[in-house]
Amino acid sequence: MLTISLTHYVVLSAILFSIGLFGVLSKKNAISVLICIELMLNAVNINLIAFSKYITPNEFIGQIFAIFVITVAAAEVGVGLAIIIAIYRNKLSVNLDEFDWLKW
Amino acid sequence: MPFDTSLLSIEMLTAALGLAVLILGIISPASAKKGLGWITVIGLLGVSGAAIGFWGTQGSVYSGMYLVDNYATFWKLTFLVAAVLVVLGSMRYVDNLGGQTEYYSTLIFATLGMMVMASAGDFITLFMGLELMTISFIILVCFRKNESKSVEAGIKYILLASMSSAVLLYGLSLIYGLTGSINIYEVGRIVAMNPVSPALILGVVMLLAGFGFKISAVPFHMWSPDVYEGAPTPVTAFLAVGSKAASLAILLRVFVAALPGIWEHWAMVVAILAGVTIIVGNLVAIPQDNIKRLLAYSSIAQAGYILVGLVTATEAGIKGVMFYAFLYVFATLGAFTVATYFYNITGSDKIKDYAGLSQRSPLMAVVMLVAMLSMAGIPPLAGFVGKFYLFTTIVDNYLWLAFIGLIMSMVSVYYYLRVALVMYRDEPADSTPIKVSSPVAITLVVTMLVTLIIGVYPGPLSEVVNAAAHSFFLQ
Amino acid sequence: MSFPVLPVILLAPLAAALVLVFVPKDEHKLIKSVAAIGTFVSMALSFYVYFGYDQTLGGLQYVIRHDWIQDLGVTFFLAVDGISLPMLLLTNLIGFSAIFASWNIGTRPREFFILLLVLITGVMGTFIAHDLFIFLLFYEVVVIPIYIMVVIWGSSKRVTKEYAAMKLTIYLLIGSGFLLVGVIALFTKSISILGAPDMSFSALAIAGSQLSAFDQKWLFALLLFGFGSLISMWPFHSWSPDGYAGAPTAVSMIHAGVLKKIGGYGLIKVAVVTLPVGAHFWAPWMAVLGIAGVAYAAFGALAQKDLKYVVGYSSVSHMGYVMIAVACLDVIGLNGAVANMFAHGVMAALFFSMIGFIYEKTHTRWIPDMGGLAHQTPKLAVGFMMAAMASLGLPGLISFMPEFTIFVSAFDNYGGLAVIGIAGIIITALYVLRAGANTLFGPPRTEYDHLEDIKGVELVPLVVLGTVLVVGGLLPSLLFDMINSGVVPLHAEISNVLQLGGNL
Repeated sequence: MLTISLTHYVVLSAILFSIGLFGVLSKKNAISVLICIELMLNAVNINLIAFSKYITPNEFIGQIFAIFVITVAAAEVGVGLAIIIAIYRNKLSVNLDEFDWLKW
Repeated sequence: MPFDTSLLSIEMLTAALGLAVLILGIISPASAKKGLGWITVIGLLGVSGAAIGFWGTQGSVYSGMYLVDNYATFWKLTFLVAAVLVVLGSMRYVDNLGGQTEYYSTLIFATLGMMVMASAGDFITLFMGLELMTISFIILVCFRKNESKSVEAGIKYILLASMSSAVLLYGLSLIYGLTGSINIYEVGRIVAMNPVSPALILGVVMLLAGFGFKISAVPFHMWSPDVYEGAPTPVTAFLAVGSKAASLAILLRVFVAALPGIWEHWAMVVAILAGVTIIVGNLVAIPQDNIKRLLAYSSIAQAGYILVGLVTATEAGIKGVMFYAFLYVFATLGAFTVATYFYNITGSDKIKDYAGLSQRSPLMAVVMLVAMLSMAGIPPLAGFVGKFYLFTTIVDNYLWLAFIGLIMSMVSVYYYLRVALVMYRDEPADSTPIKVSSPVAITLVVTMLVTLIIGVYPGPLSEVVNAAAHSFFLQ
Repeated sequence: MSFPVLPVILLAPLAAALVLVFVPKDEHKLIKSVAAIGTFVSMALSFYVYFGYDQTLGGLQYVIRHDWIQDLGVTFFLAVDGISLPMLLLTNLIGFSAIFASWNIGTRPREFFILLLVLITGVMGTFIAHDLFIFLLFYEVVVIPIYIMVVIWGSSKRVTKEYAAMKLTIYLLIGSGFLLVGVIALFTKSISILGAPDMSFSALAIAGSQLSAFDQKWLFALLLFGFGSLISMWPFHSWSPDGYAGAPTAVSMIHAGVLKKIGGYGLIKVAVVTLPVGAHFWAPWMAVLGIAGVAYAAFGALAQKDLKYVVGYSSVSHMGYVMIAVACLDVIGLNGAVANMFAHGVMAALFFSMIGFIYEKTHTRWIPDMGGLAHQTPKLAVGFMMAAMASLGLPGLISFMPEFTIFVSAFDNYGGLAVIGIAGIIITALYVLRAGANTLFGPPRTEYDHLEDIKGVELVPLVVLGTVLVVGGLLPSLLFDMINSGVVPLHAEISNVLQLGGNL
C-alpha cells in the first residue's frame, strides 16, 4: 500500500514551484503572472506545512510561517490588482508586451 | 516566558508615527497638508534620538525572534537618517504632486519594514519586514498613478519583487526543512554540525537569488534601471538607498550568522557575483543619457562593491559593508536629491540638460560632483576609505577581485566625469539661476559635508562601526 | 609645543581657496591677490623650513603626528626629510609662479584660482605626508581639479581638450588603481608581520623588507606601474604631451613641474625603500624603460612643431633620466634622481610659463609661424632661453650637476646602456636650440610688432624661477647637501636588506 511520505510533499511542492516559475517567465498577461506567483507561494506553503508535520511535529513553526505567508500574499495581490487596474485605465491593456514605455 | 517589550519601543514609535501622519492627513484641511512633511521629519528625528539611546543595548525578544544589538541599531539609524533626508529633499516634489498623507505615511512604514529586517532573528520576522518594506515601496513607485511610466514601473516592480520573494521563501523553507529551525543563530549552529547536503546548497542558491534581486546584483538587476527611471525621483532615491541597505543588513545576518558552516561553498559564488556586478554595472552605465538610469547602473555597481565585504564573512568584512553602506546612503541621496530638484525646476532627467548647472546653481553642481566622485572612490571623499576597508578583507585570497574592483572604479570615473563635463564646461541653454529651497539645501549640504568629513577623518565612524560589527557575533 | 609650521604650509592655500568662495566673482584683482597671498605664505614658510632643517641631524624633522584612523593604524603624520624638502620647496616655488603666470586669465577666474589652490595643496600634501594612507589621500586629490581645469580653460590643438583631459585622468587613475591594489596587499601583509596595523612609511619599510622575494617582486611591479604612469615612464607616457598641450599654462607648469615628480618621489620613498628586493629585481627593467623613454621622447620632441609638445616630450625624456637614476639604487644615483626632479621642475615650469605668455600674446604655439620674437619681447626671450639652456644641461645652470651625477652613476651600473642615455643629451640640445632659434631669433616679423613684452607681475615667474635656476647652478651644494642628508640613511637601509638577503 502506498504511504504518503515527506518526499511526496516535497516533490509536489517542487513541481508546483517550477510550474509557477515557468508561468511567471512566459505568460504575457499580467493577471496570469500574478496567479503564477501565487502558485509559487503555495508551493512554499506546502513545503512549510509538510516540514512542520514531519520534521518538527511538536512545534507549529511551519504552520505559523505558512499563515504569515498567506496573509502577506493576500496583501501583495491586493496591491498588484490595484496597479493592474490603474494601468488598464492608462493603456486599456494588461498585456505585459505592450508596456514598453520603459525598456523592459 | 516573560519578555521585555521596551526593546521594541523604536519600532512601536515608528509605527505610531506612521499612523499619526495618516490620521492627521485625513482630518486636516488640504491647505495644512504641507506641514505633514515637517511633522514626519521631526517625528523621524525623534525616533532617531530614541534609537541612539539604544546604542549598546544587547538583547532579544520572543526567544530570539527579534534581536536588538549594536548591529541592528546602527542599521536602523542609517535608515532613519536616509528617510529624514529623503523627506527633506522631496517636500517640494510632493507638494507639487499632492497626496502628502499617503506619501509620508507609506514612507514611514517602509522605514519600519527596514528596521524590522535589521532586527530580524528568525525567518518569519525577516519575511514580515521584507514584505512590509517591499509593499510600501510598490505603492510609492507607482505614486504618480496617472502617469503611465510610473505605473508601468510599479507593475514591473511588483511582479518581479513578488517573484523574488517567492524564490527567497522557497529557499528559506528548504533550510527550515533541513534544520528544523527558523531561528537564524540556531540554524547556524545546526548547519555547522551537520554534513552539507545538496538541498541545502539549493536553498542557499535560492536565498542568494532572492536577496541578489533586492540589492540588484547582476544577473538579478534587470528591474532596477527601469524601476528607478519610472518611479518618482525621491522614491527612487529611497529605493536605491533604503531598500538596498536593509536587504544587505539581512543578507549579512543570514549568511554570516546562519550559514558560516558552509562558508567554503558560497564564498566563491559571492565573490564572482560581486565581480560581475561591478563590471556590468560600471560598463553599462557608460552609454546612459538619463541621469536616473546612470545612477541606477552606478548603484548596481555599488552593490557589487558592498558584496565584496560578504565574501570573507568575518567581522572585518561586516564592518566594511556597514561602513560602505553608510556612506553610500549619503552619496546616493545627494545625487538623487539634485536630480529630484532639477526635475522639479526643468522637468527633465536628461544629462544634456544639466549643461551649465555650475553657473545656475553652484551648490547643486558641487553636491552632484562630490556624490559621484565619492561613489567612484576618489580621495579625500568617503568612498575611498570605504573601498579601502572592503578590499583589505579580500586582497589576500581574492586578489583578482581587488583588481576588478579598483580598476573598474577608475573606469567609473569616466562616466561620472562626463556628467561633470556637462555641468561645468557647457554653457547653459537657459541661464536663469536655480534657487534651492531650504529643506533641499539642508539635504544637499548635509550629504556633502558627511561625505567630505568621513573621507578626511573616518576615525570616529570606524569606531562606531567596529562596535556594531562586534555585537553581531554576541547573539 | 612649537609652531606647527607644516600644517600651516599645507593649509595656507586651502584657506585662501575658502576665502575665495566668498569673494564676489567679479572682483578679479582681489581674487588674484588672495590666491597670491595664500601661496606666498606657503612659499616663505617652506624657505624657512628648508634653511632651518638641521642637515647634520638628518632624519624626519618638524614632525606632526596624530592618531587618525586607529583600526587601520593611520596617523596624521607630517614631516620633512632631505628628500621631501626640495620637493616641498619646488611645489611652492612653482605654485607661487603659477598664480602669476595665469594673471591674465579672463573667464571665470574665481573658480580657476580655487581649483589651482586645491591642486597646490594636494601636491604639497603628498610630499610632506609620511603615512601611506594620507599620502594616497593627497595623491588622487589632484586628479579632478586638473580635469576640470583642462576642460574649461584648456586649448584644443592637435587633440581636443576634452580628449586630452580624459586621457590624462584615465591614465593616472588606472595607474593609481594598480597602485592601490599593491598598497592594500602590502598593508594586509604588513599587519601579520608587525602584529598591528601601521601605515607609516617607516613601519611599512620594516614590514616590507621582511616579505618573501616573490611577494616583493609582484608588489613592486604594481607600485612601479602606478608611480611609473605618473612619472610618464615609457610606454605609459602618452598622456603627458597631449595633456600638457591641452592644459592651461598654470596646470602645465604644476603638472610637469611637480605633479609628475610625485611618481619619482613615491618610487623612491615608498616602493624602493619598502621593497628593496623587488626593486633590485626590477632595476634593470626600470633602466631599460628609462633609456627607452629618453631616446623615444627625444626623437619625438624633434618631430614636433607645437612648442608645448616639444616641452611635453622633453619632460618625458628628462623623466627617463630619473628612472635610470633610481634604477642604479646607489647613493649617487638617488641623489641625482631627486636633484634632477628638482631641476627639471624649475626648468619645465619656467618653460611652460614662457610658452604660456607667447601663446597669450601671439595666439599661436606653432613654431613655423613664429620667428624673431626676441626683437619685440626681449625679456620673454631671456626666460625662454634660460629654460632651454637648462634643459640641455648647460654648466652653470641648475640641471648640469644632476645630469652629470646621473651619468656617473649610470655608467657605473649599466655601462653600455648609459651611453645611449648620454647620447639623448645631444638630441635634446638639437630640438631645444632649434625651437628657441625658430621662435625667438631671425629677422623680426612685422605682424608681431605690436606685441608688448612681459611686464609688471608677469615677470614674477621669470624672476622667481630664473633666480633658482642660476643660484642652483652656481651653488649646487645648497641642493645636493640637503638631498644627500636624506638619501644616505635611506640607502643604508636598502643595502642592509639586500646584503642580509644574500645574492637575491
